[in-house]
Amino acid sequence: MSGPPALSPFLELVGVSRVYGTGDTAVYALRDVSLSIMPGDFVSIVGPSGSGKSTMLGLLGCLDLPSSGEIRVGDHVVSALDDAERTRVRGRSIGFVFQQFHLIPHLDALGNVETALLYRGMRVAERRERSMVALEQVGLAHRADHRPVQLSGGEQQRVAFARALVTEPRILLGDEPTGALDSKNAANVMELLAELRSPERAIVIVTHDLGVAGAAARTVSMRDGTIVSDVSNEVDQMSWNQRSVAGDRPDPPASVATA
Amino acid sequence: MSTARDLVRVAIGGLFARKVRTVLLLLGPMIGVAAIIAAVGLTDSAKGDLKRKVAELGTNLVEVSAASSFGADTPTLPADAVERAFTVTTVEKVSAIFELSNIVVTPYEEAAEQFETVPIPVVAADDQLPDVLEVPLVSGRWLNRFDAENQTRAAVIGIGLAREFGYLPGELRLIELDGTSYAVVGVLDAVELSPNLDNAVFISFRSAEDDFVELGLNEVFEPGKLYARSTEGREQITADALKVAIDLGGPTEVQTSIKSEALELAAESDRQLQLIVVSMGLLAIVVGGLGIANVMSISVIQRSSEIGIRRALGHTRGIIATQFLLEAVVVGFLGGVLGVLLGVASIAVGVALAGWVFVLASWLPPAGIVLAIVISVLAGLYPAVRAARLEPLETLRLG
Repeated sequence: MSGPPALSPFLELVGVSRVYGTGDTAVYALRDVSLSIMPGDFVSIVGPSGSGKSTMLGLLGCLDLPSSGEIRVGDHVVSALDDAERTRVRGRSIGFVFQQFHLIPHLDALGNVETALLYRGMRVAERRERSMVALEQVGLAHRADHRPVQLSGGEQQRVAFARALVTEPRILLGDEPTGALDSKNAANVMELLAELRSPERAIVIVTHDLGVAGAAARTVSMRDGTIVSDVSNEVDQMSWNQRSVAGDRPDPPASVATA
Repeated sequence: MSTARDLVRVAIGGLFARKVRTVLLLLGPMIGVAAIIAAVGLTDSAKGDLKRKVAELGTNLVEVSAASSFGADTPTLPADAVERAFTVTTVEKVSAIFELSNIVVTPYEEAAEQFETVPIPVVAADDQLPDVLEVPLVSGRWLNRFDAENQTRAAVIGIGLAREFGYLPGELRLIELDGTSYAVVGVLDAVELSPNLDNAVFISFRSAEDDFVELGLNEVFEPGKLYARSTEGREQITADALKVAIDLGGPTEVQTSIKSEALELAAESDRQLQLIVVSMGLLAIVVGGLGIANVMSISVIQRSSEIGIRRALGHTRGIIATQFLLEAVVVGFLGGVLGVLLGVASIAVGVALAGWVFVLASWLPPAGIVLAIVISVLAGLYPAVRAARLEPLETLRLG
């Protein structure tokens, strides 16, 4: 029985620092951090307020640039790209889910999902079809014509998941995705995240909820701008990988089956 | 291409989703364009009937008349005045007339007493007159060479006289000129540029010579007045040249006038009024533009989270800026179109109430729409740039 084949990371931080301000007032939000996100990863990043996890999320999501160090997404050295190029790489590689959902209020659920596919030279019919598929995947196809105000928090977050998934990103980035939800809906979201695990995708969530963090397969803990621990949830990870290699892993999520 | 289509769809969708805001945005350019269109249209329409008349009659009719400095006899032009007129190269058509004085005209013998005191002008004219005046005959025919050669006593009467005499088209009617019977062969339509001809009786030079005029020393008929059509746009030069070409020196002075000048002056729109209202319209558009800049700037702040999420989803700064600008273009276009409709409607109402003729320069509506778009885009420029400069990290409030 051999281990999984060597894979190149989807997303990589190499010696990354992020400094706010200059000279005496310089504050290191992130200090010489390196992190690799591998295909199939399900990582939670935890830490108290001010530990640098939000800064980390901005950098992982290519929304921010490091003061030093390198960020790579696949073959792209994102930290060296200009804003327009970086934006395109972000649009192609990363799907976002936020604590506050950030749905566009005047668009219905389908319109919100479609927004992710705009300006890509895609036919309207194809865009609509793919968006419907994404909504089906999160179980909200019947709410496609509802506006965010007509949806519950849990439903809104699921629309946000559909919007994040519709571009088929290799990295799904969640910022406290359960933070604004009650425990039942939070559990649903965690269930959805677990379902979304796939060898073609990496899931990264930033949270301060240790229960949520524990549901991930790997937990990165941060404090004072550095990574203090990076532990695999051995049992889960190993068993999942082994089953994956043995060919009898649990049924893949719907997204993989249809992709 | 499909990106352009996406941009347009999103812009229109965004405007439709915020209807009240969109209506407020539209008001500025709409009112401005409407004011400009209505101002120009109404001032033009107020003189619309005169403008139309000038256009119909042509502005190139030059009248040449003789005035004696001594004032004794009826002054006349040289007998060869018509040939002389044609030496002016910008003269295209010429007709000569001579107004006879003191001839009693009666519609029929029995009515002689009734008309004796009313002076009716009798005009001797050549066969070119209707052609030069560009006035058609209502019925019958004009005097021709046959009348002259055969000494036929034929007369054409003006439309005013025909009404007064109760003349019916095609009727065989004899009228009396100083007791001599003339057969009416036609009726000339109204002569707008010389309304006095509407009540005249026209006879040939030969008839005039035979029945009423004592020829001068040279035994040739001398006309009193010429009508000449000049090349379009060369009226003044033609009038000046005709004076020189026809004047023989001597006691007779040659006078020329361009018949449409007074009419054109009357048809001139009230430019000052137009200027004032157009300025107010421009002001309304500019204020509307400031309103658009203001509302869109606020909108950028309100939509900062939407802008942030769009940037996170892969929409570039260029896309965001273009998206906002396009909203401004659509607002300008819709405002412009509605403004044109409102302006045209106001002109139509004004015209209907005042009984004017609807006049609207064809370039005005498109110019109004373009102006509204330009102002809206200028107004949208600053908010668009601000929207594009928003950092997604700041608007999304992570963590």
